[in-house]
Amino acid sequence: MTQHRWKIFSALVSDTFQEARARWLFWGLFSLSTLLIAIFLFVLQVDLAAGAVSLMGIPTTARHIFRIEKFVRISYSWVSIALYIWGTFLAVFASAGLMPSVLEPGRISLLLSKPLTRTILLAGRFAGNLLIVAINHVYLVGCVWVIIGVKTHVWDPRFLLAIPISLFMFAVLLCVVMLTGVVFESAALSVMLPVAIMLISAILAQRDVVVRLLSSEWSRELWVALYWIVPKFYDLGLGMRRFILADQPADWWTLVWTSAAFGLAILSGAVLVFRKRDF
Amino acid sequence: MTPYAIETYRLEKVYRTRFRGREVRAVSDLSLRVPEGAKFGLLGANGAGKTTFVKMLLSAVHPTAGTAALFGRDARDPEARRPVGYLPENHRFPTYFTGCGMLQFYGALSGLDGPALKRRIPEMLELVGLADWGDTRIKKYSKGMLQRLGLAQALIHRPKLLILDEPTDGVDPAGRRHIRDVLNQLSGTGVTIFINSHLLGEVESFCEYVAILKKGELALQGKINDLITDRGYHVTAVRVSHAAIRALNGTVSPDGQTVVIQSPTLEEANHAIDAVRASGGMIESVSASAGSLEDLFIRVTKSERGTERAA
Repeated sequence: MTQHRWKIFSALVSDTFQEARARWLFWGLFSLSTLLIAIFLFVLQVDLAAGAVSLMGIPTTARHIFRIEKFVRISYSWVSIALYIWGTFLAVFASAGLMPSVLEPGRISLLLSKPLTRTILLAGRFAGNLLIVAINHVYLVGCVWVIIGVKTHVWDPRFLLAIPISLFMFAVLLCVVMLTGVVFESAALSVMLPVAIMLISAILAQRDVVVRLLSSEWSRELWVALYWIVPKFYDLGLGMRRFILADQPADWWTLVWTSAAFGLAILSGAVLVFRKRDF
Repeated sequence: MTPYAIETYRLEKVYRTRFRGREVRAVSDLSLRVPEGAKFGLLGANGAGKTTFVKMLLSAVHPTAGTAALFGRDARDPEARRPVGYLPENHRFPTYFTGCGMLQFYGALSGLDGPALKRRIPEMLELVGLADWGDTRIKKYSKGMLQRLGLAQALIHRPKLLILDEPTDGVDPAGRRHIRDVLNQLSGTGVTIFINSHLLGEVESFCEYVAILKKGELALQGKINDLITDRGYHVTAVRVSHAAIRALNGTVSPDGQTVVIQSPTLEEANHAIDAVRASGGMIESVSASAGSLEDLFIRVTKSERGTERAA
């Protein structure tokens, strides 16, 4: 990327930041993260009291250590799933209006009059959105990890996997938000479609059970095909939780590349539509 | 290097409705040349295709046919828009910006770096009379202030071509004066100023060239002074001989009694009066006729056919 393009890209990312800052939804996202962090701080105050009792003479047993580790893992899995489901939902909700707002008639024509390509305009908006959500995820997971680590001396890096996985799935859904925003210029639809994908992915993920129940061959094939097309929101979340909770490995590669392919196809569609549209 | 800031050849835009597929021809076969450094006004009734034409120049709208170039460069190339400053009609500047923030953002998109922005932002705010408002959020700005700030963002990167879409629309008289003063300051610097407006008086007082669009087609273009030909004097006379009428190129009224002679200068009017008297006719009235762009506009936009072009 040339220096000029990089400057334009940075300006667009910075503009997305400013717009997000001006919206209450993004403050809500960070407030909820802060609330969750505050809850952990409070819960671990109670744990510290128990620790104080232990310091006063109660010996630390292997069973007690096991209990702490279990508590830490359960905490990690709950936070990671809360981040993955609710965090992604809230992030989609907060991002939904950012594309339609930039397409308002008196705003888009001015942006397009500048020496920039439409692709870079879309990319700047996408990256700005992603960066905001990344900061929120790092803030939440990082703080919880540090709080739990400091208080329990259990530093399990598996929990940090929640950041890239949640962010990756948000990026995939953000592609849908972008395409919906570019085609329909509707914030409501930009929320509804990604949420629908989240729900459909949970239904399609039951393919082992459903395929046995379906009577015709074509319906079974259709179900399996849809499973592979739609991003694996459910499976990826489940895999992340199992890995954090019980160290069970998942087929990350298949889950990631199929979801990424869906996101790339949708994002390419968004770029294509955006480049062809009249404003 | 082409001497034209804007050059279009048979430009056309047809909109198709999404579901019914109905066609609306917004701009048709439009070939236009705007010389570098000119002050050019684009006129037309509502829906004549003025804004679509401007948006095609800036690649916000894709032409169905034809070509458009800015300083000889294909208008679809983003680099062609680098020397262009644009103030859109009904702009919606993001309200989370302060005046300085907005200039910073649009200046950066126009290719200015940090030090240049630091220098240009106060200059621009000073130029448009908003020096004390730079740190105020623009949601507190009046319509006139927003328009001036919009003008500042269009000028921040020292464009060679300034495209203004209804620049004084909705602005109070003081604000209009301010915008006009800024444009007058610019007009001597070689900047091409292209104004898309329906305020004929402003275009007439500021622009040298004009084009009038009618139903998406170019109805007329040329130098304003060449186009407004009915400026001068009307001599109305009676009992004028047929020979004198023919010699003076007079127009006989429907009642067949009165003759109107149009003279572009005072000398020619006096000569016509002498000729009428010499032929035995009598002068009924003499009046100065101040032909205006408005008269021309009305005449062109109401005429059913014909494309007029100045020599």
